[in-house]
Amino acid sequence: MKDDKDMSCEHAKDKLEDWLHNDLDKADRLSVDKHLAECVNCQEEFAADKQLWESLAKMKVPEPREEMRVNFYAMLDNFKAAEATNKPFSFQTLIEKLRDIVLPQWTVQVAFSLLLVGLGWVIGNKTSQNNVSSTAYQQQIETLATQVEDMKSNMMLALIENPSATERLRAVSYTSDITHADEKVIDALFTTLNNDPNVNVRLVALEALTQFAKDAAVREGLVKSLALQDSPMVQVALADVMVKLQEKGSVKELRKLLDKEGLNDLVKNKIEQTIKDLS
Amino acid sequence: MNTLTDNSLMLRVKAGDLDKMGLLFERYNRPLFAFFYHMTHKRDVSEDLVQNVFYRMLKYKHAFTGEGEFRTWMYHLARNILNDSVKQNRSSDHYDVSEMADKLGGGTLADEGFEKREDVDFLHKAMAGLSDDYREVLVLSRFQEMKYDEIAKVLNINEGTVKVRVHRALGELKKKFFTNERR
Ligand SMILES: [Zn+2]
Repeated sequence: MKDDKDMSCEHAKDKLEDWLHNDLDKADRLSVDKHLAECVNCQEEFAADKQLWESLAKMKVPEPREEMRVNFYAMLDNFKAAEATNKPFSFQTLIEKLRDIVLPQWTVQVAFSLLLVGLGWVIGNKTSQNNVSSTAYQQQIETLATQVEDMKSNMMLALIENPSATERLRAVSYTSDITHADEKVIDALFTTLNNDPNVNVRLVALEALTQFAKDAAVREGLVKSLALQDSPMVQVALADVMVKLQEKGSVKELRKLLDKEGLNDLVKNKIEQTIKDLS
Repeated sequence: MNTLTDNSLMLRVKAGDLDKMGLLFERYNRPLFAFFYHMTHKRDVSEDLVQNVFYRMLKYKHAFTGEGEFRTWMYHLARNILNDSVKQNRSSDHYDVSEMADKLGGGTLADEGFEKREDVDFLHKAMAGLSDDYREVLVLSRFQEMKYDEIAKVLNINEGTVKVRVHRALGELKKKFFTNERR
C-alpha cells in the first residue's frame, strides 16, 4: 500500500536496517516513528534490534601489535628491492628474514644466561673452596651481570654500522635489556635514528631510545630529531613518543615541522593533533 | 594543496611510486585489522592477513583502474584472502571463541560493569555461531560502516541480496542473543 500515513508492519520492517543506520530520509523516519508509536509488536522488535545493534559497537578490537607495522615496511622495502632488480619477490623469504631477526636474538639471550650461570657456578666453587664470604660471592655475580651488559653494549656498537639493515636491526635490539646505557650506546642510537637509510632500523632505534627517556639528554635529543626526519613514518612515531613522554618542550619543534615544505597531509594532521595534546 | 585521496595514492603506487603504499597502510591497517579480527577473533592471524592484503595490492597494482573506490577494491581483496585462508585451514575452526573469552575475561571491559561485559561476551558467542556469510555482512555494515551498495561491490553480489542477507543475519543474531540460555 502506498498510503504512508498507515505504514504496514512489513513496510516498517523493510526500513529496519536503514533505521538502525540512521539512514532514513525525514519522511520515512517520520512514518516509521509513527508506526512504532502505534504498533507494540514492531516497537518491541525495533527496540530489541536497537539494543543488539548498540551492543555490537561494544565489541572491542585489540590494537594490532607494532610488529605488524615493522613487517609491513620490511615487506615494502623487499618489494621495492625486488622490483628494482626485477627478481621475483618471495613472500616466504621475507618471513624467513624477519624470523631471522628475532631468532638469533633469542639464541644470544640464552647464551648470555648460560654464560652467567656457568661462570657463577665456577666462582661459587672457587669461593667455597677458598672460604670467601657470601657477600663477596654476591659482588662477583653482580660484576658479572655488569660485564654481560657491557658485552651487549659492545656487540651493539660493533654491529650498528654494519652495511646490512638486518644486522643493524639486531644491533639495536641488543639494547632492549640493557638497564644503564652509557653515552656511547646512546650516541650510536641517535646516529642511527637520525641517519640510518632504513626506516625499520630508525623506528627500532627510536623505540630503544624511548626506554632511556628518563634521561633529560635523551629527551632533548628526541625533540631535536623531529627536525631531521623526512620519513612520514618516523615523524609520526616521534610525535607519538612526544605525547607518551608528555614532552611539552617539543611543541616549538613540532610547529617548525609544520612549516616544512612538502609535509604530507597525514603527518600534518598528526602533528597538529600532537600539539593540541601537549598544549 | 593537492588532496591525497586514496585513489590518487593507489594510482601513484601503480605508476611505480611504491612508497605511497605506506600512507595507505597508515590509513587502513587498523580498520582492516578490525575487519579480520571481527571475522576470525585471532589477533596474529588478523595481523598476517592485513600484511597479505597490502602485499597483494602491491603485486596486483596494475589491476587497480581507479574507476571504483580504493576502499571497495581493498575489501574485495581482503575478503578473498580471508576465504582462501579459511579454505587452507579447514581443520581448525577459524573463529576462535576461546581467545576472546580469555581476553574479555577480566581485561579491558571489566570496568564497564559486570552485566555489560556479560552481554558482550555473549554477543561474541552469538557472532561465532553465525555462518561466515552472515557474519561478513554484519561486520561490513556495522563496523566498517559500509552502505549496501558498497558491500554489494565488495562481495560481488547485488544490492538486494545484501539487504536480505543483513536482515537475515540480524534476525539470526537476535535469535541467538535473546533466546539462548544465558548464564
Ligand atoms: Zn507493526
